[in-house]
Amino acid sequence: MISFQDIIFKLQKFWAEHGCAILQPYDTEVGAGTSHYVTTLKALDSNYWAAAFVQPCRRPKDGRYADNPNRTQYYYQFQVIIKPAPANPQELYLDSLRAVGFDMAAHDVRFVEDDWENPSLGAAGLGWEVWCDGMEITQYTYFQQVGGINCSVIPVEITYGLERIATFMQGVESHFDINWNGKEGDQKLTYGDVLSRFEREFSCYNFDVASIDILLEHFDNYETECSRLLAHSLVMPAYEQCVKANHCFNILDARGVISVTERAGYIARVRALAKSCCQAWIESL
Amino acid sequence: MYEELLLELFSEEIPARLQRKALVDAVTTFSDVMENYNAVYDEVKSFVSPRRLTLLVRGLQPRTKSLVERKRGPSVSAAEKAVDGFLRSNDKTMDDLLKIDNYYYVDVETQTFETRDLIGDMITDFITSMPWQKSMRWYLEDQGTLSAFWVRPIRSILCVYDGTPVDVYVKSVGIRTCAHTYGHRFLAPGAIDISDFECYKEKLEAAHVILDYEKKRNYIDMEMTKKAAGFGLHVRYDDGLLDEVAGLVEYPFVHVGVIDERFMQLPSEVLSTSMKIHQKYFTMTYPDSVIAPFYGVVTNVPATEVMSEGLNRVLRARLSDAAFFYKEDLDVTLEAFAQRLSNVVFHEKLGSMAQKIDRMMSIANTKDEHRAIALCKADLLTQMVGEFPELQGTIGGIYAHVQDESAELCTAIREHYKPANASDSVPSTLLGSRISFFDKIDNLVGLLGIGIKPTGSKDPFALRRTALAVVKLLCESDGSILDSETLSWYIDTLTTAYLDQGVPLDADTDEIVKEFLVERFKTFAIDGLEIGADVVNAVVNSFEDPFSLDYRVAIEKAKRMNNITTLDGFDTVRTAYKRAAGIIGDVHVDPLQVRDVQFHDSYMMKVSDTMQVLCSGADVAFSRIIEASAAILEACDNVLMNDPDPKVRIANMYLLSKFVCVVRNEIGDLTYM
Repeated sequence: MISFQDIIFKLQKFWAEHGCAILQPYDTEVGAGTSHYVTTLKALDSNYWAAAFVQPCRRPKDGRYADNPNRTQYYYQFQVIIKPAPANPQELYLDSLRAVGFDMAAHDVRFVEDDWENPSLGAAGLGWEVWCDGMEITQYTYFQQVGGINCSVIPVEITYGLERIATFMQGVESHFDINWNGKEGDQKLTYGDVLSRFEREFSCYNFDVASIDILLEHFDNYETECSRLLAHSLVMPAYEQCVKANHCFNILDARGVISVTERAGYIARVRALAKSCCQAWIESL
Repeated sequence: MYEELLLELFSEEIPARLQRKALVDAVTTFSDVMENYNAVYDEVKSFVSPRRLTLLVRGLQPRTKSLVERKRGPSVSAAEKAVDGFLRSNDKTMDDLLKIDNYYYVDVETQTFETRDLIGDMITDFITSMPWQKSMRWYLEDQGTLSAFWVRPIRSILCVYDGTPVDVYVKSVGIRTCAHTYGHRFLAPGAIDISDFECYKEKLEAAHVILDYEKKRNYIDMEMTKKAAGFGLHVRYDDGLLDEVAGLVEYPFVHVGVIDERFMQLPSEVLSTSMKIHQKYFTMTYPDSVIAPFYGVVTNVPATEVMSEGLNRVLRARLSDAAFFYKEDLDVTLEAFAQRLSNVVFHEKLGSMAQKIDRMMSIANTKDEHRAIALCKADLLTQMVGEFPELQGTIGGIYAHVQDESAELCTAIREHYKPANASDSVPSTLLGSRISFFDKIDNLVGLLGIGIKPTGSKDPFALRRTALAVVKLLCESDGSILDSETLSWYIDTLTTAYLDQGVPLDADTDEIVKEFLVERFKTFAIDGLEIGADVVNAVVNSFEDPFSLDYRVAIEKAKRMNNITTLDGFDTVRTAYKRAAGIIGDVHVDPLQVRDVQFHDSYMMKVSDTMQVLCSGADVAFSRIIEASAAILEACDNVLMNDPDPKVRIANMYLLSKFVCVVRNEIGDLTYM
């Protein structure tokens, strides 16, 4: 049986061998690896780029107080971005699964249409979700547009759902039962050991306790700061403020204090920030 | 094979939902391309599987056809030298010269080409003109540019013409054509050499690719039914799902899996929707239609034990989510959900769903209706409908049942989105039909009233579908769907309700809505019931105010008339109607003026007699209309209808008017038939 961390090691090794820089996660709260600036901003120019990294993701609304075996407000993606997409990206991807230890003969792996769109980043691409025995384990996308701007060189983005791959390979039912360190007995550390209290407390925070006033104030501050930084042509710090504003909005949304009309307004505000950042980035190249 | 062109664009996985349309589009697009090049061919066929779109052209002639082009030369008054020059440059002699409208012309045959030499250009043109609903570009490393648009990256192009491989470089996708393809991604991944279509089909089938979409689909259908029968079960037939799963595999393997017993307490609609939407699993039922703890699934490779366990496990994960929503939802009453409807936007200019509910209340009548209206939209706030929007209504009905609402109310809530389309039935109860009607007529009045109209293929608010549903409700529900009110009353009352909520609507909303409904009625009758367009118009025009149809009467009349038009004798009736209507023109005959008229000529006496018979019974038999028609025609041939004697003239006109009136009521307005 392969441990959670071994899956990560093997993916890192595989993609390193295929020219990717193995990075560390973006150290601010994001909803997906796509929001890491090495994906969004780096997709916009025409230079070669290849990176792979684990990205913890936060989706406040998906929290279930650690009660649901498969849905959490915090989870891990393994993100690969290569630009331009190599000539055989699907084969490379399947090889990466083999490298992790997937027995392709025993499983039903399929590419099922799922075009990806992130309106708040003005980003869109075509691709699939990859199914393994009916479970989506990866999102696979050819970017076509970021920040409302057509890509001049097409990147491929491959996003593995690490917990899903692990439950799959370890034959366990719940994310929390995933064997993290590969040990048995006293030394065995599970995903639950690492994250179940985190999950419970953050579910409470997101849904029940987070201070609405403080969050609203934070949102406004991040927004103001983003615009101010753009005026100084500091695109990356500005982008980070935009990402933070977005996370603030996500918690407010989970808190259930944003009405339908307000919601559209907030999304538009974040989108405006993201667009400005992408535009400023392109202008600065 | 002789004169056969085989072309396969081998790509990454083509979305299942686009494959069927691609089959059709590929044939028309490639035919157009070939015609642009003046290529001569017998027929084009297309094939599709997830990783390939294939064209087969039979009887593609080795040379393109030559066309005759008429070239204009100098005018007839031009110098001889000019004419000589014109002839020489076109390689023609004096004998070939044509003189038309003071100019000289010659007919020149265009050059013909080797078809083989044009195939590369044809492939390029085909790729550019194929109309994918959604397509993408990818990076071509050798050229440093982006590719042409295609549904997904093309990785290889097989092209064989007349038994010999075609070798061309298709620059727009950076690929050199070849004479091999690839089989199933996992079961036969190697390259396969191809010499012609027969070989292609056979070798692919051996390599686990079924080329014929229908064959694959039928195989799945049969195999699933057979496997289910092995467990004593039925498969719940699902056309759309069958299409989708067929498009997701190159070779179908059917497997039966197990639903964990602990989820069987979930409502069966939730089970089957979750299985279908998330997993593309088929629902299985016991012979008594009760949902069974098994599902059918189509895989791309033969099922293994670990796969089977995986398929069950992912379903457990899905269903635990559904169970979570179910449990959470049931902690809240429908009334409590409904109270939050003020937060749900109906339309930005038309206010919230709560306001919509208020308006629906204003046109409702009974206590049951008010209760149903109050609860019918509550499920929009449930987590279950958030997850499965297609279960709106259904979930409301189920939750209403859980909180002990009456059976009639639960059914009405459950069915109030019906009919969903032209082939869907109307709600099974009058209460359900009325709620559905209130809901939809409110949509039409509001949206049309603020000037929203569908244009071409764009109808973002589904106005056409809504109007069609209203037409069906009016035609097919129990007769009292409008209660004792008129359609105008509902429209006017809603218009006032909108105004009270601060939304002024167009002053002509009543007319706009009614006109829109009549248009939908026509479409419904023509496309839905396959009644001739002329028949439908004849029926609509037979009403005094064609925009205030009695839809129930109109639809019955249209059906009847559609039959009548095929009967012997209809021609006679039509001719008689047109002649009679033509003679009367705009003359209006006051029946009081024609009391005690005696007809003295035998023709008009016969007309009078047949008309009397025609109007005597409650039911007008078509055979009697024919008799009267024949009499009218005979009279028209032999009698001067515009008799100089005003008394006779009025009497004649009276009979003709009466005939026209009866035919119009009983059949339709045959003026334009």
